[in-house]
Amino acid sequence: MSNTAADTEIDMDTDTETTTTTGESQEEVKAEWTDYDFAGQPKLSVENLNVWYGDDHALKDVSMDIPEESVTALIGPSGCGKSTYLRCLNRMNDRIKVANIDGSVELDGMEIYDTNTNLVELRKRVGMVFQAPNPFPKSIRDNISYGPRKHGDINKGFLARLLGQDDSDEEAELVERALKQAALWDEVSDRLDANALGLSGGQQQRLCIARCLATDPEVILMDEPASALDPIATAKIEDLIEDLAKDYTVVVVTHSMQQAARISDQTAVFLTGGELVEYDDTDKIFENPESQRVEDYITGKFG
Amino acid sequence: MSEGYATENALVQEESDLYDRGLDAAIALTVVSFVLGMITLVKVVGLATSGGALTNFFVTLLAVVIGGVGVVGVFSWAGVIDITSQRVRGIALGGIVDLVVLTALVTVLDVTLATVLGLLLVAQAAIVALAGLASRFELVDTAPNMSAGLLAGGAFGALGLLVGAAVGGTLVGFDSMLWILVALAVGAGLLILTILPREDVGSTLPTALLVGLLGLVVATATIGVGWEWNPNALSGGFTGGAVIPTFVLFGSLLSNWAAAKCRAGFGAPGRQYGAFFVINLNAFMMVSVMATIVVFVTVKGIGYAFHGFTIGAPAALVVLLPLLVLAVNWARKPAGTDAWRTGARQLVRVLPLALVGSLAAVVASVSIRGSALTYPFTYTVQVNRQPKVLDTGISVTPDPTVGALLLTFSALLLFAYFGRAYGTLRGVGRDPSWVDTVKQGVALSVAAMAVLTVVFAVLSPSPFGLPLGGTVGLVVVVLGAVVAGGLSVAAVATPLRGGAGTSLGEGLHDYAQTVVIGLSGALALLTAVVFLEPTAGVNPSVGPADLVPIVALLTAVASVGVSVSAGHARRSAAELRRRVLGEEAVFGLATAAGALALLGVHVAATGANFTVVGLTVGTKGSFSWPMTMQSYVPLGAEPGGILPAIVGTVWLVVGATLFAVPLGVGAAVFLTEYAEQGAFTSLVEIATNALWSTPSVVFGLFGAAFLIPRLGGDRSLLAGMLVLGFMLLPLVLITSREAILAVPDEYRDASAALGVTKWETIRSVVLPAAMPGVITGVILGVGRIAGETAPLILVLGSTLNSSEPIAVLDGFTFTAAPPFVGNPALLAETASLPTQIWAVIAAGVSGSPSMGWATAFILLMVVLAFYAVGIVSRTFFRRKLNYE
Repeated sequence: MSNTAADTEIDMDTDTETTTTTGESQEEVKAEWTDYDFAGQPKLSVENLNVWYGDDHALKDVSMDIPEESVTALIGPSGCGKSTYLRCLNRMNDRIKVANIDGSVELDGMEIYDTNTNLVELRKRVGMVFQAPNPFPKSIRDNISYGPRKHGDINKGFLARLLGQDDSDEEAELVERALKQAALWDEVSDRLDANALGLSGGQQQRLCIARCLATDPEVILMDEPASALDPIATAKIEDLIEDLAKDYTVVVVTHSMQQAARISDQTAVFLTGGELVEYDDTDKIFENPESQRVEDYITGKFG
Repeated sequence: MSEGYATENALVQEESDLYDRGLDAAIALTVVSFVLGMITLVKVVGLATSGGALTNFFVTLLAVVIGGVGVVGVFSWAGVIDITSQRVRGIALGGIVDLVVLTALVTVLDVTLATVLGLLLVAQAAIVALAGLASRFELVDTAPNMSAGLLAGGAFGALGLLVGAAVGGTLVGFDSMLWILVALAVGAGLLILTILPREDVGSTLPTALLVGLLGLVVATATIGVGWEWNPNALSGGFTGGAVIPTFVLFGSLLSNWAAAKCRAGFGAPGRQYGAFFVINLNAFMMVSVMATIVVFVTVKGIGYAFHGFTIGAPAALVVLLPLLVLAVNWARKPAGTDAWRTGARQLVRVLPLALVGSLAAVVASVSIRGSALTYPFTYTVQVNRQPKVLDTGISVTPDPTVGALLLTFSALLLFAYFGRAYGTLRGVGRDPSWVDTVKQGVALSVAAMAVLTVVFAVLSPSPFGLPLGGTVGLVVVVLGAVVAGGLSVAAVATPLRGGAGTSLGEGLHDYAQTVVIGLSGALALLTAVVFLEPTAGVNPSVGPADLVPIVALLTAVASVGVSVSAGHARRSAAELRRRVLGEEAVFGLATAAGALALLGVHVAATGANFTVVGLTVGTKGSFSWPMTMQSYVPLGAEPGGILPAIVGTVWLVVGATLFAVPLGVGAAVFLTEYAEQGAFTSLVEIATNALWSTPSVVFGLFGAAFLIPRLGGDRSLLAGMLVLGFMLLPLVLITSREAILAVPDEYRDASAALGVTKWETIRSVVLPAAMPGVITGVILGVGRIAGETAPLILVLGSTLNSSEPIAVLDGFTFTAAPPFVGNPALLAETASLPTQIWAVIAAGVSGSPSMGWATAFILLMVVLAFYAVGIVSRTFFRRKLNYE
């Protein structure tokens, strides 16, 4: 498994200082870490992805493969483009009018930036959890079943009953499954009709994860899912992410290097200027990074 | 000076009792004179009042203040509220002392109120000047700044210009240019006096000079009650009656500001305290303007509005019953919460209950004693262009008749209340057998559907010759009836299949769910029958006995029985011991209320009276409110009512809302969610704001010139609806747009990330979240258009020709050829409340001003009713959005 990013030009203006711990050149560094070989099949492969916000080149020539059924952490200082990168993976950046995206992202070998891509289908397969918990002002049950109902997978209501298509039982099963997967079932099973805004911050975030799971995605993108939460809620979310990686491909952006080290199988380090500096097994990144900049960042000397 | 610093020894200023108490009294005095200014401005009391009448007025005022301060004082003493501020106590006591002195003065001296007001201003000026000088000569401990500041200086300079111009003009006349010099001199003098000296002099002496001058002018009657100034350049003039209260209001505000500054010792605390009072008095002025208008209209209109108002004692009790239930609910609401601690709050909670309870007792006594209870009053009408005083009154009579509509309305209120309580309780726990029971019910209802359809078709005099409208109604109603019938059959069948409980209470408890369904089924069946009667001409009866009321009453009685037993069983269950009423009990009460409502509808629809234990439910009942139940009688000796105008206004508002809300909300969705921000959206925004600012009479002209020729050529209700709809549109658009913009983008992101399309997101997430804001806009808009007069005069038609309320619902006609639906009533002229007021007032001597006031009063009530509906629905949506 080798990443094909090595043949692309590196923007030397912002990257003049990049040297390895052993004093090698930029190209040699890249040759070292791009020669990785992860255990799983690549679920997502990104090639030469560039994003501009107006004139601002936010993401520069990023290429990486994300293996399936594992946790991939994206770390780096603020403004390094890791969230931008994450949002490219389910085309959420399409919603930003000034964003200009160039490059290729393949999901199971299918190009998602194809003009004929069905966005509904893509986002069903690649779900997303946001930084701040954002449940809808609806009941817990309606929050979970919102996606499937809107996709027509679950029918409810007067007309459904009249036509004999009522899926209330399926809905109940779905809600229970999603909430159990998100480790929230025990806390809310007795108040599924209560408004979701009445839950605590940590519960709301797990509800958002359950809501995302309810559409049966293959990939779950998480944008700093624990940054707005207290340590106990954070620990629960982290346990949850590790559990989810058994069945799902999880990509998580985080500011906390300890968190990345704890939960992820592989880690990608983005540094200022929107470049992917190093991407490798988490252990390798944290114990013996190839790049001097990454080592500086991880040891707290920079960023 | 300021007890706020008392904890910091180094900051504590030396207390000077005379200075502080005196200024507290002065502040109280400025507040008193401000209130007097307001009172005289709206002419509650005449400025020329003197002698005994004036003494009486001041004694009343004193009583009100002592009462208010006393109540607050008692609560404070009891620890309910906490008033520790020396200043508040000082002002309260100072106010009482001021009023005692004033009352004594007007008793001893024979002066008019105008003179008293003038002297009040002079006294304020003197105190403020003394306080300022005391501070300047370091007799008291204050912390003034070096100057009162440029802002104050500019303000006093401008005031000086005005006063100087007035004084100069009066002394030397406006013919020579000398008055300008005087004005400039006074202005410059005040400017310098404000800016150059230290703050304590700079903010007090100019105030004292100005207020003192105003006071002297009023006190010496230089500007008296009869004073008038008609400048050549103006067609109108200034009269003493308006100028004196304005002087008093203005002077009190000014001296209040200065006195508050002195009291807080100048400097930053002084500015803060001064601003506090001025801003509060401003707010008070605004509230009192609104309150004055409402009270004024009510006082003028309520007598005529309730002329000949009669209600039978049983009918009154029927109305009081829901109120009693609501009062009970209000009284027990905070039970179990910590908020329910102090005796005073309990008192406030229980007070409405006591009030409604005693009212009910009084009304009940009318029935028992058999004599009417009358509150008499008189009012004046114009009969043959001569005013004639009529005696009338509000009567409660012992007549044992209840109006069908009255019964229906009250029962519906009860039904809504208990229904909501039931919903709240039901949310606590779910019975899984509920689903099964409903399924059985649906299955059985299909069978019942066939049977009932045949029965009603056969019973109907012309089963297949019905007009289309009737047929549609029949089909809808039969469907409802049939589902209900199935449910009730299922309800009876289910307990029969299972074993019975050991006791009645437990049995009911075990099968409460099914019994409840049975009752609801019976209720729905009744609904269907009641609505079927007028449409299909069917009246199910056994011999001479009318079945509907019997079934209704049986249902009601059974429901109450069920609720009592089931409620008892529930209460004994340990886990539910804390509940006041059990789930089934509340549902039973709701069912009973629903059955009663249906009984009322039945009587109203068939016209057949129904009597049980001496109480008759009749079509009209012993309830009469001529003002709202009769039509207008032009120039009649008998005062008529304004029913056509009320009905017209309600239809206008309903029509305008139906027109404007979908359009406005749709446009708002387009602008916020779909359109790119750019030239086009800016254009729409400008157009919307311009539409909102367009004078209403222009809308009216447009309607008259553009709409009417295209809508049958005559003024009509439909034209009125459309014109009001045009006026409502921009406000709905603006507020909806803001509400939609306020919905967090997180919701949209979350929905998009789930793969949900934009339109589904808008429909399911954005619009529900924006709903309270949208409703607020509609409430505001409805309040505006309901009272709109000018366009309606042009497009709605003549009020005084409308002797019958417009029948929009009955007016629909269906045809086989296009346009299929027609409604002549929509194209007819009708009356509305605002045009009625205009017509009655504009009719001059032949009109009846008291009827105009009464109409205005009822218009106010109608608008408030629309507000109430809007506020209730807004609260409903807010509750749905926020967790409880």
